[in-house]
Amino acid sequence: MNCSSARDTFPALLDRRTAATAHTEARAHLASCPDCQREFAALSQTLSALDAMPAPAPSPRLRKNFYAMLEEEKHSAASAVTSSARRQRSHRLSLFAWILSPIAGCALIALGFMLGTRNAAPGASDTQRELASMREQIARQNDQLGKMTQLVGYQLLQQQQGPANDRLREVLASANTEKPDDKVLDNLISALAYDPSTNVRLRALEALYPHADRAVVRSSVLASLPREQNPLVQLEMIDFVAAARDREAAPVLTKMAQNESIDRSVRAAARRALAQL
Amino acid sequence: MDTATEQRSDHVLMLAVRDGELDALGELFERHHGPLFGFLVKLTGQRSAAEDIAQTVFQRMLKYRHTYRDDGSFSAWMYHLARRCAADHFRKTNAAPHATDPADLQEHADERPHAGDHATARDDHALLHTALARLDRDDREVLLLSRFQELSFAEIAGILECSVGAAKVRAHRALGELRNIYVRLQQQRSA
Repeated sequence: MNCSSARDTFPALLDRRTAATAHTEARAHLASCPDCQREFAALSQTLSALDAMPAPAPSPRLRKNFYAMLEEEKHSAASAVTSSARRQRSHRLSLFAWILSPIAGCALIALGFMLGTRNAAPGASDTQRELASMREQIARQNDQLGKMTQLVGYQLLQQQQGPANDRLREVLASANTEKPDDKVLDNLISALAYDPSTNVRLRALEALYPHADRAVVRSSVLASLPREQNPLVQLEMIDFVAAARDREAAPVLTKMAQNESIDRSVRAAARRALAQL
Repeated sequence: MDTATEQRSDHVLMLAVRDGELDALGELFERHHGPLFGFLVKLTGQRSAAEDIAQTVFQRMLKYRHTYRDDGSFSAWMYHLARRCAADHFRKTNAAPHATDPADLQEHADERPHAGDHATARDDHALLHTALARLDRDDREVLLLSRFQELSFAEIAGILECSVGAAKVRAHRALGELRNIYVRLQQQRSA
């Protein structure tokens, strides 16, 4: 083995995890080559000095800030779950109004019909005519119910695959663009500023994170922050401007920190971001 | 800390965080904030910046917890985030790391058992701090990852987004460069 090949193995030989029995040829060369011995000793000495550098300990501030952040996140997550449950409840009520109400109506009519047939005197021609009329009415109700169910199904489908979902897909596609051009960034910024869907705005902000070094992105997020009403998005935006160390955000954050009408966790996040700036 | 928590690996804890058990991140913080902070101090040369970046790393763990993969390595993921946060820091401050922090050096010297060794140790540490600071940031990064963080080269390659071979070559080149700078500084001190 020559010196060049032996030196290629030096990283492995200097690695504490390499077995002592590995690279026997290189070790044999090293034992007999003064030049390689000098090179190896210099590298080894540098590494020893590096290993001997004391490991500094962080101040208590790091732990304190971490647990404060964790508590806040738990609080936000709990709020998100509550609001999701509320949405689901509201969705169920809406389903009841659209689907179950007509069914309940039909059931009441059918019940009335059955009670009527049991209690009426048998054999009367008037009763038979009434019976036929009732049957027609039930058939019409069933027909209407079928049409209603189709309509509700269509509306639910629209809710699931409607424009907000399309916009979300567009934002996700933009987020996956490795080198987005100005148009893609403009779209993301517009989505963040104007899209009515919270999910779309959150995704847009997430997609803008890698471009926080661009002034136009930072100023756009900052411009959107005072307009934003949703606490979840507000928290994310504050996180963004704090991570971007955007000092121009200080006046906006100060106002938010002092605004009693804003969510308490958002005010706390604004104060923390101000400290970070 | 209960026994059940002690037995859970980093990966299992992070999966729990991903699935909504946010308290599990507290255990991960306790296990890793020290080494992470040490890495960031050596990378940036600044304690306050290192604390800020470490804080941001844990913030992003929470924020991006849903992206943690079933087959992931927690340490590799954490240092991947740390690297990105540090890159953000360098981009914003556009500053080279400070080679020496007198407060750090005093603190380190006090930890030494023999007073007579203090000056030498302090000087050596200061030289090495300076040498590290003069390294190209990419070189410093790969050197610190490969030496201190108990990461395999496969994990380092994943973090640096290069091949395993390239990661090894870069680590070796960085060590050689550090050695050259360190030796030069020692010679200057002796002169």
